[in-house]
Amino acid sequence: MAGDNSRALPSGGALVARVVPFRQRVSSSPFVISAITPTIAVMLVIFGAPLTLSLYLSFQGWNPTQPLFGGHAVGLANYIDLLTDWNFIRSILLTLGYTATVVGVELAAGFAIALLLNMDVPLIHLLRSLLIVPMMMTPIVAALCWKLLLDPNRGIVNYLLGSNVVWLGNADTALISVALVNIWQNAPYVAILLLAGLRSLSREPFEAAKIDGANRWQMLRYVVVPMLRPYILVALLLRTIFEFRSFDNVYVLTNGGPADATMLLSVFTYMTSFYRFDLSLGAAASWIMLGISLVMCAFFIVVAGRRKTK
Amino acid sequence: MTRIGRALDRRRFMAGTLAGGAALYAPIAKPALAAPKPEKLVYVGDNGPWHWSLVEEVAPAFERATGIKIEYTLLPFDAWNARLRAELSSGSNSIDIVQWGISMAGWISPYLADHEPLLAASSKADFDWNDFLESTKQAATYDGKLSGIPYRVTTGIVHYQKALLQEVGFATAPETYAEFLQAAIACTKAGAGSRYGLGTFGRQGTALQIGFLPWLYSAGGRLYDRKTGEVLVNNDVAVDALQFYADLFNKYKVVPPEAMTWEFDDIIAGGQNDRYAMVQMFSPYGTLINDAKLSKTAGRWAWATVPGHDDKSQGRTWVDGHLLAVPKDGKNNQWAFEFIQLACSKEFLRKSMERGNAAPRASVLRDPGIVEKLGWPPVAAIAMESGIPTPSDPYWPSLEVQLRSAISQAITGQRTAKVALDALAVDWQRSLRRAGVGK
Amino acid sequence: MRLVSYRARRQFSVAAIYLTFGILLVIFLFPVVWVVGLSLKTRLQIIAPEPLFWWRPTLENYLAVFQGADFLHAFLNSLVTAVGAVVLSLVAGVPTAYAFARFPFRGNSILFYGLLLMRMLPPIAVLVPMYVLFSKIGLANTHLAVMLAYSTFSLPLVVWILRDYFEDLPRELEESAWIDGATYAVAFRLVVLPLVRPGLVAVSILSLLLAWNDFLFAAVLTNNATRTLPVLMASYANGDTGVDWGPMTASGVLVVLPVILFAVIAQKHLVAGLSSGAVKG
Repeated sequence: MAGDNSRALPSGGALVARVVPFRQRVSSSPFVISAITPTIAVMLVIFGAPLTLSLYLSFQGWNPTQPLFGGHAVGLANYIDLLTDWNFIRSILLTLGYTATVVGVELAAGFAIALLLNMDVPLIHLLRSLLIVPMMMTPIVAALCWKLLLDPNRGIVNYLLGSNVVWLGNADTALISVALVNIWQNAPYVAILLLAGLRSLSREPFEAAKIDGANRWQMLRYVVVPMLRPYILVALLLRTIFEFRSFDNVYVLTNGGPADATMLLSVFTYMTSFYRFDLSLGAAASWIMLGISLVMCAFFIVVAGRRKTK
Repeated sequence: MTRIGRALDRRRFMAGTLAGGAALYAPIAKPALAAPKPEKLVYVGDNGPWHWSLVEEVAPAFERATGIKIEYTLLPFDAWNARLRAELSSGSNSIDIVQWGISMAGWISPYLADHEPLLAASSKADFDWNDFLESTKQAATYDGKLSGIPYRVTTGIVHYQKALLQEVGFATAPETYAEFLQAAIACTKAGAGSRYGLGTFGRQGTALQIGFLPWLYSAGGRLYDRKTGEVLVNNDVAVDALQFYADLFNKYKVVPPEAMTWEFDDIIAGGQNDRYAMVQMFSPYGTLINDAKLSKTAGRWAWATVPGHDDKSQGRTWVDGHLLAVPKDGKNNQWAFEFIQLACSKEFLRKSMERGNAAPRASVLRDPGIVEKLGWPPVAAIAMESGIPTPSDPYWPSLEVQLRSAISQAITGQRTAKVALDALAVDWQRSLRRAGVGK
Repeated sequence: MRLVSYRARRQFSVAAIYLTFGILLVIFLFPVVWVVGLSLKTRLQIIAPEPLFWWRPTLENYLAVFQGADFLHAFLNSLVTAVGAVVLSLVAGVPTAYAFARFPFRGNSILFYGLLLMRMLPPIAVLVPMYVLFSKIGLANTHLAVMLAYSTFSLPLVVWILRDYFEDLPRELEESAWIDGATYAVAFRLVVLPLVRPGLVAVSILSLLLAWNDFLFAAVLTNNATRTLPVLMASYANGDTGVDWGPMTASGVLVVLPVILFAVIAQKHLVAGLSSGAVKG
């Protein structure tokens, strides 16, 4: 059973490095070295170097009038400036709350849609193809479309609802609007992922449950969800990481406003680095953001790894 | 009309003007510059609705005279700022003509050439540097260096629909805050939902402070002292001013609801679509909202300086502008400066007035034909005399971003003006400290 | 429950299912359809006080888009950078994935977690330093810079997905090739690669999509000459939104159309790729 499961659920394995039998250790083969060198080179250039520079910058005091490397070391001053800035803290809290809510809704909606898509009725393939559309759209374009749809005077949303709410100009509705656009775009992705999981489940547990007299809801709760656990975890991890750094939608729809209601961390960091051009502060902010991402990532890996038995 | 539609239509309208422009330039000897001629010059600027003249009149004339194309990169304000910062500070020399705004002077000036020698060496006898307004020449000078040639000067004046105000009992524009409030309320009531009393910038972006600053200045308030680093934006006068402004949105509701999403283009569209009776905004936008080809409200607008807190004489507004410059290490500075001189020449600046620009030349602003046609230049000239220039310190962008949050919080009713400005003061003190100013 | 026959109940539940499908389609597709509709309307039709649900479509917006040089230029840029990014990721990533699968090497975990980290990091953390570094080495505003930047998400994708495919292959085929005297490289090229073609297709499609749709990297690392379609579209966002809906929606449709067509046609591969712990976004 274990072997079958791991084959059907490679996603679970993707999270944990596997151990291979000792007799196959050929680590110093020139083939292996040439196989991994390009990857390492690319990683160093586009990942290692910028990240190191960013770290370095975050410990420099930097005046906007100075050239890039002309600052002086100030230790933790940038980090302290950020962590004592209520706007930054508020942005972190806003982003965490936003991420949790949006991911939760995406997962719930995606799961429900996946269950539906799992039915064997005619035209189901057509439906599956069509539901892919929102997630494949270029996020910038999707956001622009929604900006038109949410226009207070000429948008179709207000027409259909019979209201004239200024969705993106009202501090109370702006964040919800951005969240809904995100959910609209990404719930299908969760659905596709969970659908793949559903379709890979073997029939035996279901047969057994039916014999035991379980009804639909009980089957769902005690058979489907546990067996889908690896897929659910992967979906959770991926969506959390990406909603946490969500930028495109907010940039187009509200640019952080109104009244900082949609000032997510990514927007805050972007404004700090590219508009205020306070590069050292921006570097410190992005490292804090990276740190939070890592913690979330580690959390998921631990949870996924812990129960990866059976 | 769509931007592309506008371009296509204007092409016909432009034919005659182009011919005129080329004819004016052609007799002047083709520049015989020592520097090698590039194939094109790269111009980086913002995408405000006044570049038509540069794109459709100046560039073709320049190409006709020199054979050099102009490649325009016109970006939204924040992106434009970011692009210039990134390119200039990283030492890249791919930009030939830099368009910069007064608020950027502090950080951008070190990267730009000294334009005094360029002017002195210039062959254009009729360029007439003295024709430029003194205040714009000062704005172009930072730390003693002339860092650009002014192309556009804007100030905040009140644009109002004369007939509508007469209907509610105002023969001229309101002169005090109390009168203004009264007029706005009356116009909103008369507009019955399709038209409001005041249009303004509501989006949390770079235009937000433009809507607020005259209310601050005319009440005697100021932002900060750049020498001592003292933060002035949360003293009582300023708090009252912001609260007055915020009340217009929330208490008296004289602003159209969708103005909360308005920035540059939207506020013009709002005027053209008759969504408001009065507006305080860039002086040259008066051309666009009064244009018969584009606007439903064409011909109905009149102009006045901003009201004062208790008396008309207290009215003070902001002054901003755009300049054209060549970078210090530019590859094609000689040819780029030729372009700049052409764009800022009397002929082309005069033409640009009709396309939504506001020329920084006294002769143009006082030209009777222009005054007759556009109407707002005399008002702008008066406003500029006492106007306060946009801050140009290198750390102003940080302060401005934080100011946006505070204004937005107040006008959305999330915070009272006092709470918002006190929080802003804390932020500003931190930013000023980081920039090495004051304590 | 016995009052209603089994057949009637079954018909009811089938009907309920189709009704739900209909609702889903409306929720997820109506916005797209509406925007496509906007792209086919004239300006007057767009700003009509009551939204038009039935009108004679016009192609004038699409014509306007094609007449402006901006769009075609950006389209080419998008194509070049997307294809380049995919090629780069495949060339670097496929051998690495094979090495992970078959030849555990020292530093295996470090590399793995490094790739994971690379995928997970917020772009904003590397954008400014990346721009600065690229400027210093003369790569600023080039296509190559963007392709390299895109490998932050494509490369981990390629390695993860293909590693699973490689691991699922029975070792006997390669081992017999090795016994016959083939080198690792030759065996890899001639024996193993053809067998994972579905995997290669899946990752190529996914990487292509991600590269095509990216905004943030392109916005920072390109200028007017090299900007991609999303960057062009974003320039409409804070500009003429009050006026130019027709050409803007037409551009948007043109940007998204290739992606959607591609995705729908290659749906099977996509799903396979996605479910291998793949990523989007």
